[in-house]
Amino acid sequence: MASVSLPAPPVTISPASEAEIYRKAIETHGSPLLVINPAKIRRAYRSLNDALPGVGLYFAIKANPHRAVVKTLAECGASFDIATSGEIELLREIKVRGDNCIHTHPIKRDKDIRDALRYGCTKFVVDNLEEIKKFIPYRNRVGILLRVSFPNPNSPVDLSKKFGCTPDNAIQLAETATEMGIKIKGFSFHAGSQCACPENHTHAVERCAELLMHYNETHEQNMSILDIGGGFPVPYDNGTPDIESFCAPIRNALKLLPEHIAVIAEPGRFLVADAATAVSTVIGVADRCDGRWYYLDDGVYGSYSGRIYDHANYPIRVFSDETSVTHPTIMAGPTCDSIDVFAENINIPELKIGDLVVGEMMGAYTNATATDFNLFPRAKIIESTDAAF
Amino acid sequence: MNRYSETLYDAWGQSFAVDKVLFETHTDHQHLVIFKNSHYGRVMALDGVIQTTEADEFIYHESLTHIPLLAHGDVKKVLIIGGGDGGILREVCKHKNVESITMVEIDNAVVEMSREHLPKHSDGAFDDSRFQLVIDDGANFVAETEQTFDVIISDSTDPIGPGEVLFTQDFYGNCKRCLNPGGVLVTQNGVPFMQADELISTHERQQVHFADNTFYTAAIPTYVGGVMAFSWASDNKDLRAQNLEIIKARFEQAELAVRFYTPELHLGAFALPGYIQEHLK
Repeated sequence: MASVSLPAPPVTISPASEAEIYRKAIETHGSPLLVINPAKIRRAYRSLNDALPGVGLYFAIKANPHRAVVKTLAECGASFDIATSGEIELLREIKVRGDNCIHTHPIKRDKDIRDALRYGCTKFVVDNLEEIKKFIPYRNRVGILLRVSFPNPNSPVDLSKKFGCTPDNAIQLAETATEMGIKIKGFSFHAGSQCACPENHTHAVERCAELLMHYNETHEQNMSILDIGGGFPVPYDNGTPDIESFCAPIRNALKLLPEHIAVIAEPGRFLVADAATAVSTVIGVADRCDGRWYYLDDGVYGSYSGRIYDHANYPIRVFSDETSVTHPTIMAGPTCDSIDVFAENINIPELKIGDLVVGEMMGAYTNATATDFNLFPRAKIIESTDAAF
Repeated sequence: MNRYSETLYDAWGQSFAVDKVLFETHTDHQHLVIFKNSHYGRVMALDGVIQTTEADEFIYHESLTHIPLLAHGDVKKVLIIGGGDGGILREVCKHKNVESITMVEIDNAVVEMSREHLPKHSDGAFDDSRFQLVIDDGANFVAETEQTFDVIISDSTDPIGPGEVLFTQDFYGNCKRCLNPGGVLVTQNGVPFMQADELISTHERQQVHFADNTFYTAAIPTYVGGVMAFSWASDNKDLRAQNLEIIKARFEQAELAVRFYTPELHLGAFALPGYIQEHLK
């Protein structure tokens, strides 16, 4: 595999003494580590709840299916966005009720539908006629949302490419479903992931409000839900708007909806990104023509997997009291693959074998997409509410 | 105050005040709970769906037992598929002329739990000398057994769930294979007002094997959504065409202590409302 050149991540150089708490953690638990801080999850939940009052928050479990994460959000009062029977099993174990969930995978096997119904989840999302037909045997038990697609080529991950019907098609699909005896209770959309600005959300809300009102005026069945998806950004770097200013125009757009329409959202990244810190250890050093290479015991096949799949640029922290002399540096993971590089084009002081590197804001799409490649063990996951994490 | 809300339907559902949780388990990909409710007594729910309550179980168990047994009139051997709570068994045991009762339950834990937490359902029937418990998958048992029966009662859970195999064409065919000539199969078949597809598919699958196939009904308050349907499958069309005098005579002779069943209701149960009849055309 060819390696891809990445923009430099934000780097912080902290005094060597500040490494102490991380060193203690790996002395106790081993390296590499991923430390989840439930206090930060609770804080993120509160801030999104404040920024979107009255909007039901369904945590997209796929962002981080760790038990401690899901349990913390359940305690906060979150509902859950599920996509697989595996996620259902996790929620069962934590004793979350099925009527607190929405099954959002647009493509389902019959078994997936049955597993969800047995769990008590009766809300589903579909985006095409073939999927609607799959619900005929269960038509009296379910409530269906239609996923409408609003292409967003400017988001790092364009979620409208793979799934979603066009707005023009949505009303007709809803009518066809009604003829089959299947109730369409509303629309859902995904404006993108880690959206830089709220315009895609506001545009989609406005368009869906039109569609909902038009549908309700012209049909006997009434739609009652709008699902505004996720895409709420987190500050991996300085350019990200804070959640309050990001949501203000969305709140305004939501005012277009008639009062009886319930609004829900499916935040994933926003609720968990800030809540995990990766701690890894330098296991090798080499000076090469393009700079100094540090080989860490965690990389893109492990906790830094989102560097590849999620295009996330996690802030990096290193520890040194020598800040005047820095070197062009590349940080790589431990596997044999050349793509396993998670930081390039950075300048940092010299590190030694055994020194620590800390990755911050590593709670979303990190452990969720880690692999066992090369049979390197995945980072151990622990919980801590210490402010350092 | 705690509440238990059924999650059977997205658009509506029933909800119970939970006075006390008596038993709860989250094992084998299932959530089972038994709780006390001031109106319904002990209530058992599996995966968000009410299975049985002490207050209204008699309507279900009497309907599923006495109608086939008294329609047949000379039942010696009864097979119960499922029915681990012992309610059907209790009703069958009331028939003195029945010589043997086999119950096939997939999990002995269901029986043990019911004996402990729903003792009124079986009311001592598990100790009846005519009773034999087989721990096996009901679908597997009817496929393999050499025994034959006069009445088979399928007291299963929902087809979306562990009871799925008890709603297949193969299962119905195997039931026919182990019915004595003139015998009858009856099954729990959901609430047609909400689950018409279940009724339609059962009818399609049973028709293949039986000369006479219909449904009869009873209204059980906690199986919400109108009357519950029970399928009726036999090769003897006369079984459900008995006149009232014969049923009355059998009922009196049987000396059953019942609260729901009456001979008049027995005959009336086969009179189906139009919205169910239209599915059977």
